[in-house]
Amino acid sequence: MKKYIYMSALATMALTTPQTAQAQDFDSKPVVNLTNEAEDLKFSIGARMMMDAAYYHAEYTPMKSGAAITDARIRTSMSYKDWYFYADFDFSEGKFTQKNIFLQYAMKKEKGIHSFKAGYYNNPANMARNTSIGSMHFLTRASSVNALAQGRELGLSYSFYNDHFFANQGVFAENQYNDQEAGYQGVSLGGRWLWRPINDSKQTFHVGASFRYANIATGEVQDDIVLKTNLDLGTSLETLVDPTTEFVSASLPWAKNVYDFGLEALYKNDDFFVRGEYMLKHVTKERDDQALFEANLGSIDSWSTLASWQAGNPLGSNTFHGAYVEAGYKLFGNPYKYNNKEGVLGGLDGKSLEIVARYSYTGLNDIVDGEKYVLGRDQYYPDGLIKDYPSTSKSIGGGNLHSVTLGANYAFNKYVQFMVSYSYHHLDRDKYPSDKNFHALQGRLMFQF
Amino acid sequence: MGFSLIATASCENQDFSDVTTDATRVEVNTISAEMAKVRDYVPSYAVIAHRGTTYWAPEETEAAWRWAREMGADYLESDLQCSKDGVILANHDENLQRTTNIENVYGELVPTTRKAFYMRHGKTEAEAEALVAADQASFRPYYAMSYMYEELLQLDAGTWFNESNLEQARDAYSTIPQYVSTLEDQIMYAEGKILKRDSEGNRIYSVSGTWDESKPRDCLKYTFEYENDPEDTGNRPGIYIEFKESWLNPSDFEQRVYNKLKDLGWNIITEPCDGVEPYTSDGKVNVGNTNGKVILQTFSLESLRRTADVFQGRIPMCFLLWEGTGATDLKYDTPQGYASFINLGLEYKAHIMGPCIAGSPNNYPEMNAPWQAYLIKKAGMLNHPYSFDSYAQMAKYFGTYNWGNTVAYDELLGGKCGDGLFTNRTEMSLKYMIDNGLRDSRASKTVPDAGETLDRLGY
Repeated sequence: MKKYIYMSALATMALTTPQTAQAQDFDSKPVVNLTNEAEDLKFSIGARMMMDAAYYHAEYTPMKSGAAITDARIRTSMSYKDWYFYADFDFSEGKFTQKNIFLQYAMKKEKGIHSFKAGYYNNPANMARNTSIGSMHFLTRASSVNALAQGRELGLSYSFYNDHFFANQGVFAENQYNDQEAGYQGVSLGGRWLWRPINDSKQTFHVGASFRYANIATGEVQDDIVLKTNLDLGTSLETLVDPTTEFVSASLPWAKNVYDFGLEALYKNDDFFVRGEYMLKHVTKERDDQALFEANLGSIDSWSTLASWQAGNPLGSNTFHGAYVEAGYKLFGNPYKYNNKEGVLGGLDGKSLEIVARYSYTGLNDIVDGEKYVLGRDQYYPDGLIKDYPSTSKSIGGGNLHSVTLGANYAFNKYVQFMVSYSYHHLDRDKYPSDKNFHALQGRLMFQF
Repeated sequence: MGFSLIATASCENQDFSDVTTDATRVEVNTISAEMAKVRDYVPSYAVIAHRGTTYWAPEETEAAWRWAREMGADYLESDLQCSKDGVILANHDENLQRTTNIENVYGELVPTTRKAFYMRHGKTEAEAEALVAADQASFRPYYAMSYMYEELLQLDAGTWFNESNLEQARDAYSTIPQYVSTLEDQIMYAEGKILKRDSEGNRIYSVSGTWDESKPRDCLKYTFEYENDPEDTGNRPGIYIEFKESWLNPSDFEQRVYNKLKDLGWNIITEPCDGVEPYTSDGKVNVGNTNGKVILQTFSLESLRRTADVFQGRIPMCFLLWEGTGATDLKYDTPQGYASFINLGLEYKAHIMGPCIAGSPNNYPEMNAPWQAYLIKKAGMLNHPYSFDSYAQMAKYFGTYNWGNTVAYDELLGGKCGDGLFTNRTEMSLKYMIDNGLRDSRASKTVPDAGETLDRLGY
């Protein structure tokens, strides 16, 4: 069969992709498009690169100032009638990294657009996670989002939206490669629901809520008898040049059920936007106490009853909070755009200049009142009393981080953007008592097509 | 669980512990003026005879401590535990298999003499049998805490040394019975006494009282007999006593030790010295007659806290350091982690830090590097590293091997990573201190020969 293929350097997406097609991590349109009219196939290819430079001033523990290629991606898509396939791959740091890859089917109905999506992409339960980093107006997502909101997962989702309502919910697997050490995969459910009382060509206001539940079922086998699950939380100091999560991080052994609750709001008009989210993460834990207790038997040092073993090895749930608010003011350029399908703000479009500001709070400290911390052991002691054994604290001292960012973004055109920002971070973490204040001056040159 | 690039990215090459810069800026508290007065009870460059000696004689026995005293050590070091019937033991291992013949004497069962012991102390045969049955149910074989002291006195604490140390073996360690020691024994040796023995060489003692299972540690009274050591040449060392892991001892153990020191006239809180006594007198060690006569020590965080509660920082206290993941260990040996343990020591009224040192034969973790010694000094505490077995270790930590160079932290250390040392080789440590001008000018300028001293003492 003869194929008719031609390249259109600047063909519009309206002509080449279904109405509902949208890349997860790019909101700009790719410039390289191939069309096979005979087969009604459209194929596009694009790329993005980010080069960041950062200078950090830390009070005690040094951070690695410097420059880095922080993002280098190739994206591809193909559409066929109401079907849309998308994939993008990162090769920064000289290695391949799986990013989004999904298939989507969309139907336009009288009350709105319904779409079904399957593949590996961001869990819907968070606004910032579903905003492309290339459209964030900031160099990274807020630390609270990094620490508390779920990113990509492998799954299925259904979404519906019109001018005033948005609902996106899905079911996802725990591990996209099924390469866990042990255990059947857990499952998560996530959704985000928005109401847009104001949504016209001039301005948009939305409020929303989100929820995610995850059951952690994979882990490692401990002592050949029990499956030990774990949940790691953490964030960098809103930078990619030194992306260490050491300052703000928590590890939650035996984590089993994760409940994420979110509230959000966004307002934008042509020249101004403000948006924010509140996130709460509640983690419950589960452990096969009976098996571990029985495994401890057999020596003079054995715990003699299950109750005593449990008292000496307490297990408790933990709750963490986070929030951010971001605002931007455009000094010149095209109006801010709102994406109805994703319920997110778009990036700069064409030659523009904006100033932005953000405050973020990340709370990974869940410390029981009155407990004493000993840094040399990274351990909390209940009732303020140091003891040799057993340690019975349920506290998690992952760190509380307050971050303030001021920035300016200049788009030379729709493809090239320069960003600069200053961030101040105040850390409260017992493990790093001398690391209280951080300053970061960062810049980014971003190119995407 | 999957996370974003940012959340999961780690920075494996990030150097979070740059000791060369962090040690000079880490926050470490400083000793209070009140605590410093107690710190100053301790003589400079004290030679602490670790377990008496582990090299020349069976550790923590009459032989080891007599030798250390006669050699001129400033302190006789020991480890405190508690027998089932409340006698405060001076014995290192919680498990007696290594240093006694307990496996052959008692095996893993409650001593067969236990029933008779109960009956001698007021119990009927039926009551005694019931008590033995109860003892067996919770019996921890070979642990000192499981035995009455009278049972421990049946053990041979000397012969094992000959079997394990052929080059240092001496028949007398078997023929002159060596016992699992008590704190009282140790103090008596420091005072120039020895065990009073019967014609067969067995120590003379008596035990009285009625057994009361509701207060097993307080119902019997042991009376030990001592006599002046005919070989005593007048040295009066102090004692350096360690509270072992808290779970080995009763929760009021520190109070019991306080009381025992008081009973024996060695508690300077209740019976202080004048404060003007010299550490050496007429060339003889005199620490045992000063306010520095007792130094407490522990690795245990819990015992550190309890010691502070009981002794209130009024007797010199050493917080010992070990690196590892155990319940009492320093897990993060970074300047901040190390400083946190110094601060913990100060908070709980310790005056001295006791880090382990590297080097054979023990090959302990290095916890007394110059930056670590610097932090201790910066806090105004004394540094008593442990334990020295060779000249090379002394030369390394006390400056000889700096070969006259000025090195990092010398502004506080002056090349010396220690204010004293735990040693198994008192003879070598004293010689090193004398040769390097670190010994009190009034102290003896000579060190007796180690072997000849043992000969003189009858071993």
